[in-house]
Amino acid sequence: MNLEYLWQGFAVALTWQNLLIGLVGCFIGTMVGALPAIGPINGIALLLPIAYTMGLPAESTMILLAAIYCGAEYGGRISSILLNVPGDAGAVMTALDGYPMAKQGRAGEALALSGLASFVGGMFGSIGLALFAPLLAGLAIGFGPAEYFVLMVFAFATLGSMVGSQPVKTLIGCVLGLMLATVGLDATSGAYRFTFNEPELGDGIEFVVLVIGLFSISEALIILEHQGRGMTVIRELGRMTARMSDVVKSAGTTVRSSIIGFVVGVLPGTGASVSSAVSYTTAKRISDTEGTFGKGDVRGLAAPEAANNATACGAFVPMLTLGVPGSGTTAVMLGALMLYNIQPGPMLLVERPEIVGGLVASLFVGNLILLALNLPLVQIFARVLTVPNWLLVPGILVLSIVGVYSAHSSVFSIYLMMGIGMTGWLLRKAGFDMAPIILGFVLGRVMEVNLRNALAISGGEISILFSSTICIVLWCMAVLVALLPIYLSRRAKRRAMKLAAAE
Amino acid sequence: MSEVHQPSSRTVQLIGRVSAICLFVFAIAYGIGGSVIEYAFASDPLGPRVFPVALAVALGLLSVWYWFSPGFAEGFPTGPLLLRVLAVPVLMLIAVMLFEPAGFAASIFVLTLGTAILFGAPPAKALAGSIGHAALWWFVFSYLLEVYLPAGALFG
Repeated sequence: MNLEYLWQGFAVALTWQNLLIGLVGCFIGTMVGALPAIGPINGIALLLPIAYTMGLPAESTMILLAAIYCGAEYGGRISSILLNVPGDAGAVMTALDGYPMAKQGRAGEALALSGLASFVGGMFGSIGLALFAPLLAGLAIGFGPAEYFVLMVFAFATLGSMVGSQPVKTLIGCVLGLMLATVGLDATSGAYRFTFNEPELGDGIEFVVLVIGLFSISEALIILEHQGRGMTVIRELGRMTARMSDVVKSAGTTVRSSIIGFVVGVLPGTGASVSSAVSYTTAKRISDTEGTFGKGDVRGLAAPEAANNATACGAFVPMLTLGVPGSGTTAVMLGALMLYNIQPGPMLLVERPEIVGGLVASLFVGNLILLALNLPLVQIFARVLTVPNWLLVPGILVLSIVGVYSAHSSVFSIYLMMGIGMTGWLLRKAGFDMAPIILGFVLGRVMEVNLRNALAISGGEISILFSSTICIVLWCMAVLVALLPIYLSRRAKRRAMKLAAAE
Repeated sequence: MSEVHQPSSRTVQLIGRVSAICLFVFAIAYGIGGSVIEYAFASDPLGPRVFPVALAVALGLLSVWYWFSPGFAEGFPTGPLLLRVLAVPVLMLIAVMLFEPAGFAASIFVLTLGTAILFGAPPAKALAGSIGHAALWWFVFSYLLEVYLPAGALFG
């Protein structure tokens, strides 16, 4: 197996500039993750234009964003444990056992143990990424336009069936994202589409404008709505190290959850929320013989934390090798790569090994940095929870405005961002998730170009989309994945009816 | 008292159906817009129209599904809370309109002061916070990151 790219990557990641960037990213990421509701996507969305305007090379930007992503996955547990409010979607399950532990006066132990589980999950994920990325890239090198198009259909099918409980809304989000991607000049025919004679829309909707509008602006409005909901920070942290007996007790769960997390991360379109839920329920089914889960069981705490960090690393596999993001956050990072005119896909490992290798190596380094930061400095991160919203939210709005303006020096972009932000807020209130829109937007142009190229090759024959073995396998997988939730819900209904009949 | 509340299933259904109608209308408008895209020639069999029209059809069908299966939704705020929420984009609009003529510092001051008050900050703290925000972000972007920001009539 060719791991040469990894050594080259360590040479990139271990330069003092990139080490510093990684350290800063880990620190900011942990703070972003610790703040309730400001998840990794929001953090990356806000900092992306700043990284871009700083003129960092592509590999350093990816290292920064990856550090923020992993840092946020670490930090998400802090508010879950101390506030019972998850810092991000991946930390929802952490609160189930973390908060009861904190209420029992074991907050420090919970933070230390979850930090260790996060570290193990992150390292497992990084090793998996290093091993599987070249394998998958090698497999995908034979993909033509038709295979790519079907792969993207598969990604949307996975997303529709696995993210959230409302597949119709996820699919609508994907289509809206695809529609947004059609705005601007069509490179093939030279036609302007949906620009309304506005020259600033000629190049399409800028990624930064969309992502900041959808996430940051709508988030600010949601925070205002939820303002004043009773939240009590647990300030008594107690002992700040994990007990050896707890480490031993949760070791098996941690390893198993790391594997689950990585596998779920590799599936295109799924994210930490899915993996943490799957790993928690698996741990509960296997280990909860005494009914202690949900009451402060260390295994219930370790499972989601190991899983969500492994997922963060696993999500990079499809992103780097296929150009299909594994999660909402990697969709944003994919867009960031495109800002540098870099097209992720199987050739990325061959053409730009320093980017892939640098990112993979930085995950190993980043995990060590995060462990070093999170164990001794957790009290400092916990203090972030006390920053009042009246100081925090105006800062988010300023960063949003300046971030968009600094990237494009255009007031029109700010107006567009505000319009998108308001629409995003309305959609969120109606129960829509924003990540599918980003996924649709990021994949939109590539999907259309590949479809058109495939049909150009076949002279307009649609059968090209079903002609190769890879296409057929991908279609079958897409259909299976799309039908899976229907089967599962019917099985659950049958079981419920059987139980009711037995009673 | 106006608050964000868990809406009743009837309200959820109403939100879902209104959203579905909006999406359906949007799909029709987008489809019509897509079908009249002007182009001189297309080097591929599909051309620039088919993909948008196909997306419009997909959105139309999905919005019909959504009409019948609205799922869950969060309640919209009402009364004073709604006014506070809507005041944020209005404040942003004012700040952006001031951005170039009055300059970055003045527009950010207005935005952060207004938002801090909306978030319930005492006036003195809101004032101090907004001065701090304006100064901090000016320093970070103009001096540290060397990003061009309009100085405006006050400082220009």
